[in-house]
Amino acid sequence: MKNTPRLIGLALAGFLSTTALALAAPKVVSGPGAEPGCFKPWSGETKHMQWAKKPGPYRIAIVNGFVGNTWRIQMIQTAKAYAEQAGMKEKIKELKVVSTGTDVAAQLGAMEDFINQGYDAIITIAVAPDGFDRVIRLADRNNVVVVPFDNVLDTDKVMQVNEDQLEIGRLSARHILKELGSKREGKVLEVRGLPGNSVDRDRHLGFREVMGKEAAKMQIVEIVGNWDDGTAQKATADALAVHGKFEAVFTQGGSTGTVRAMMDAKHPFVPMAGEAENGYRKLIAKHANDGLKGLSYGQSPGLVAISMKAALSALEGNAMPQLISVPIPVVDYTTLKAGENFWPDLTDNFFAANAFPACGVNISAPEIMGKDAKNTQ
Amino acid sequence: MADAITADTAPARASARPAGSGDLRLRLRQNAGLLGAVALFVLFYGLYNLYHPRGFSTQVLIQNANEILTLSLLAMAQTVPVLLGGLDLSVGAVMTLVNCLASHLVAGSPAQIALGIAACLGAGAAFGFVNGCIVVYGRIQPIIATLASGAIAMGLALFLRPKPGGKIDADLSWAMTNALSDFAETYGLFEDGKAAWFQPVAWIPVPLLVLSAFALLVWVPFRRTLTGRTIYAIGSAEGAAYMSGLPIARAKLAAFTLAGFFAGAGGLFLAIQTSTGNADIPQASTYTLNSIAAVVIGGTSLLGGTGGAIASVVGALVLRAISFNFRIFDVPPLLQPLVEGLVLLAAVSLGALRALRAKNRLELFR
Repeated sequence: MKNTPRLIGLALAGFLSTTALALAAPKVVSGPGAEPGCFKPWSGETKHMQWAKKPGPYRIAIVNGFVGNTWRIQMIQTAKAYAEQAGMKEKIKELKVVSTGTDVAAQLGAMEDFINQGYDAIITIAVAPDGFDRVIRLADRNNVVVVPFDNVLDTDKVMQVNEDQLEIGRLSARHILKELGSKREGKVLEVRGLPGNSVDRDRHLGFREVMGKEAAKMQIVEIVGNWDDGTAQKATADALAVHGKFEAVFTQGGSTGTVRAMMDAKHPFVPMAGEAENGYRKLIAKHANDGLKGLSYGQSPGLVAISMKAALSALEGNAMPQLISVPIPVVDYTTLKAGENFWPDLTDNFFAANAFPACGVNISAPEIMGKDAKNTQ
Repeated sequence: MADAITADTAPARASARPAGSGDLRLRLRQNAGLLGAVALFVLFYGLYNLYHPRGFSTQVLIQNANEILTLSLLAMAQTVPVLLGGLDLSVGAVMTLVNCLASHLVAGSPAQIALGIAACLGAGAAFGFVNGCIVVYGRIQPIIATLASGAIAMGLALFLRPKPGGKIDADLSWAMTNALSDFAETYGLFEDGKAAWFQPVAWIPVPLLVLSAFALLVWVPFRRTLTGRTIYAIGSAEGAAYMSGLPIARAKLAAFTLAGFFAGAGGLFLAIQTSTGNADIPQASTYTLNSIAAVVIGGTSLLGGTGGAIASVVGALVLRAISFNFRIFDVPPLLQPLVEGLVLLAAVSLGALRALRAKNRLELFR
């Protein structure tokens, strides 16, 4: 940094005049907002926000954190595919995607950088639920719409997009209890996600809330699977070796690995709730009659598309809910259909839930997979 | 063995032999790794600023300063044990531990805040000291000792902050992560930062001053002490250092304590920057690995005995500056890690170029 001060000194004189931007923040307005079917407020108390209308087309940046699992890669590909779709293409001047790794300082830096570069909206998966006050303050000053999704922030100062993770935990517990019939004893395996993460925390709390109320006698064995097939498979294998038999399983992710570990250990199939990996759905379809009564909910990588759509809507001056609840795409062993919500011919590793009819967003997984195969560059 | 001495050890030698022009050439050659890193940084940071719509502005400098400070402090922390010939795998965990501690302590009245900051720095140093004791008195390899103690630090961090949260004084957060003028304005110093004499320095980002303070007021004086020079001696040849009667145990204890202190300072700043505490395990490992990368890019040998903390800061700057460019240039998102890896490989290879000049193959073993 030694060589820059003098240049900065030179730039400073001209620059000072532009720093005194008026403090512009989104106004809190009364609902309902635009397209309430798609941008559904989280609850009755969710406030609505409105930004100053900006002329398009817009520059959008996606600041991803961790990269290196299938979900994130599919998310990035979905974002690129969605930006190319008719109706979006003409509204987006530039789409930039960066991944900063699990490093909050780098993520904050990247977001601030895009604010300084004059981008109109920043969509992000936060690496921590807290700590973004400074960036939010700067974004408000510069009239930039920040949209955290998936791993959201513990704040009501920005517009956020997510599925209700507590509800995912609850409906998983309800499904398991329903399939167990009247049995309320024995052990249940809970495979958790990435520790310290708000999604992991909320799914866990929702699951425990229902289990604690309705099946207080069942012993829940908790292991960490990091939402990753390999980790979940290994952790499940260890848990099976130690505990012997489980009555039911709730896995937050890496669901295919969890099932494979049970098959390897010759554990009988039991009622199960898990993520929307294609492989997991394939296994449910194949083994449902043997007892793998599975539920598959999807925290869809397609959330990025909803977030982009929400950001554009906000930039166009529409009133938007501060917290948008995207309907949870969920199927169980009775509603699985080949070629519609799972694909027997495609790999295990992509996430099968990608259609949001209420939003007019449908980027089906094979579309992305096919696209990807053609442009591997 | 002349090759083992770099700019960081030069002051110790300078008293014995005044610097001349031949000496300067020698020194340049000895610091090829560091010079390469500086050149890389100037290249990447220059490119970034040239193509940034607001390049060379205070805003961009502040933002970058915030981003580099924690990693730079961790790179300094990692350097000290590396100079001994060891590795400290606990720096990221100690950073996280102090980050969580700060989210409990650094708030309230000014006195409480000052006490909290002191306690955080003290906790980092204390943890480093314990690391040193395990290595010196337990006679365990640093890499294993710190792997274990790092897990303990992570456990304590999770105990302090089972889920992210806490609060840091908001004024302090704002003042420490902006330019000096904002700092002065927040605390009502120098006529709210409007004093005429203050203007020439008002644009300097506070994090850069903090970094300079740690480098010039902690590292440089320490390096010049007998203990500091002993660390280099141990890294070069521990047996010889022992036979020369140097205080080996004291130097090792000091090295790990200093590492803990710097790592703690990094954690404290991370807390101030994010105004929360977060016991984030993947993040701790990321920082540990990046700190080692920064040390290597800066030209410090992993075998010990040569290099220095300031060189590692340059290494950290290079590491950050590479990824800055991804925000400007259109690199396909999934190729970014590949590109970053290739550039890093090229950067560390620069340090290996000296092998081509070796007159005697035996020199390569050093």
